[in-house]
Amino acid sequence: MSRVLPGFGLSLGYTLVYLSLLVLIPLGGLVLKAGTLTLAEFWQIATTEQAMASYRVTFGASFAAAVINAFFGLIVAWVLVRYPFPGKSLVDAFVDLPFALPTAVAGITLATLYAGNGWIGRHLEPLGIKVAYTPYGIVVALAFVTLPFIVRTLQPVIEDIEPEVEEAAASLGASRWLTFTRIILPAIFPALLTGFTLAFSRAIGEFGSVIFIAGNLPMVSEITPLLIIAKLEQQDVVGATALAVVMLVISFVMLLTINALQWWAANRHKGRAA
Amino acid sequence: MSISIQNISKRFGSFVALDGINLDIPTGELVALLGPSGCGKTTLLRIIAGMETADAGEVLFSGREATHLHARDRNVGFVFQHYALFRHMTVFENVAFGLRVKPRKERPAEAEIKKRVMDLLGLVQLDWLAERYPSQLSGGQRQRIALARALAVEPKVLLLDEPFGALDTKVRKELRRWLRRLHDEMHISSVFVTHDQEEALEVADRVVVMNHGRIEQIGSPDEVYSNPASPFVYQFLGNVNVFHSRVHGAWAEVGRDEAAAGGESGEGGETLAFVRPHEIDIERGPVAGGLEAEVQDVHPIGPVVRVELAHASELIEVELTRERADALGLAKGQHVWLKPRQVKVFAAPEYLLEDGGSGI
Repeated sequence: MSRVLPGFGLSLGYTLVYLSLLVLIPLGGLVLKAGTLTLAEFWQIATTEQAMASYRVTFGASFAAAVINAFFGLIVAWVLVRYPFPGKSLVDAFVDLPFALPTAVAGITLATLYAGNGWIGRHLEPLGIKVAYTPYGIVVALAFVTLPFIVRTLQPVIEDIEPEVEEAAASLGASRWLTFTRIILPAIFPALLTGFTLAFSRAIGEFGSVIFIAGNLPMVSEITPLLIIAKLEQQDVVGATALAVVMLVISFVMLLTINALQWWAANRHKGRAA
Repeated sequence: MSISIQNISKRFGSFVALDGINLDIPTGELVALLGPSGCGKTTLLRIIAGMETADAGEVLFSGREATHLHARDRNVGFVFQHYALFRHMTVFENVAFGLRVKPRKERPAEAEIKKRVMDLLGLVQLDWLAERYPSQLSGGQRQRIALARALAVEPKVLLLDEPFGALDTKVRKELRRWLRRLHDEMHISSVFVTHDQEEALEVADRVVVMNHGRIEQIGSPDEVYSNPASPFVYQFLGNVNVFHSRVHGAWAEVGRDEAAAGGESGEGGETLAFVRPHEIDIERGPVAGGLEAEVQDVHPIGPVVRVELAHASELIEVELTRERADALGLAKGQHVWLKPRQVKVFAAPEYLLEDGGSGI
């Protein structure tokens, strides 16, 4: 049977080569390098107290940042889609800034702002809140970096909800809150989950902005990527790859889980796909 | 529940959507708001539903002030042109929504909800689709579900915004009849918006013809069709031939007798004569008071034959039955004589300003 669309063989071959060169071979090499360790050695490097603390900081802060953005990013997306106001396109453009700005610049700026004598930190310190050079600082930096992912994923989906659907709910006697929880949230939930996933995985890999604001105290505010670099600087390449493999596996499992969740959310209503 | 609309006005920027609308809808009536797009009919419907606020004027439900009542407190069922079903809910849940969101004290028990929803789905003859999702239904089915959903909260008023506009002709006709039956069974007041004159004439008890944010005429379907209050109504409800009487003396003469009945022709002033295509006879030979014309084209369309004729520079449309057309045996280029059976004359300036007569 001949296909209607030509070029299947060529484009698939290209896709495989491209993915191999960029993703599969480097990651395979990583696993291979880590494979020079025995299982016991690997386990010993991967589970040192310092490493465990860094996983907690990395994944914990990433998760927190993604959750915070899921909430506030939703509000930003909602406002940008639903309400006309002067300067809207300018505000819309601001959302993309974290994409474009070098993350190190963002990290230094945030660290300066949130430091004890910074513009914002100055007002937080009397309240007993320290942000810069603590795990909170990491969350702030990650929230900054990941905001566009959630806003940009939600915007088209919110645009897709006809205002009539909300009017219908109102005419049936539903309050604003019920309309939101029963009508709007279920409609945007799959997109929210997608945005969350993107933000979360981006946050796990973030390095540049975090190291400037984190303070990098071992056991407290040291992220795994930094630990890997520290090991590389000590010429401990095998140890670094061991940690990298751990991150790779955890990230992969998480992405897989969230993908499954997403698939479930999108297909809950078989009709939606049509 | 009766609806009373008093002096409602609404502007969108500089655009006047509604200009001092007064309308009374008695309990149990099925009313059509008919007009071209942009005439304000949908805005009026949305103001009744509480989805739009009027700049001035009042809406009364059963004589009680409802102008500032929120949509959710009006107890009004609303059906949208594009259904606005909840995509992530089954048909059953869509219809049950209005019952489920009631405050706990008023909310019926689960068994009661189930019974009410299934009854309604039975009423719209779609109970076998309860577990499907909206995207799995056809347009006609979706609109019936939207109706069942609106009826679930037992509204006192049913408002429909071009409910059949997105459906094909056959389904539309079917749903039209079905809406009429449903309205009679439910004993509610219904208002529906349409730009389709056939739909309005067929379904409604009363037709409200609107243009440029004002009411041109209110009347029974027969009244607005056979006794239009303004040139606009005449032209909007069906095809019509317009003649400038002063230019065509023969037509003014023909029209004079009828004009006395309902027209507003000024003495000797410029007038316009309106004649419907099916109210003109064609004769092969000269007739007294007839108008000579040349056949330009003959189109048989189903049961009727539409003949286009030229008189001087003006195009005249005539509709004949097939039998009559066969008997005449018309051919292109043939010279024939036209004799209108009914003419309505309006003063020309009124028409030129497009400022039709006020409502009755």
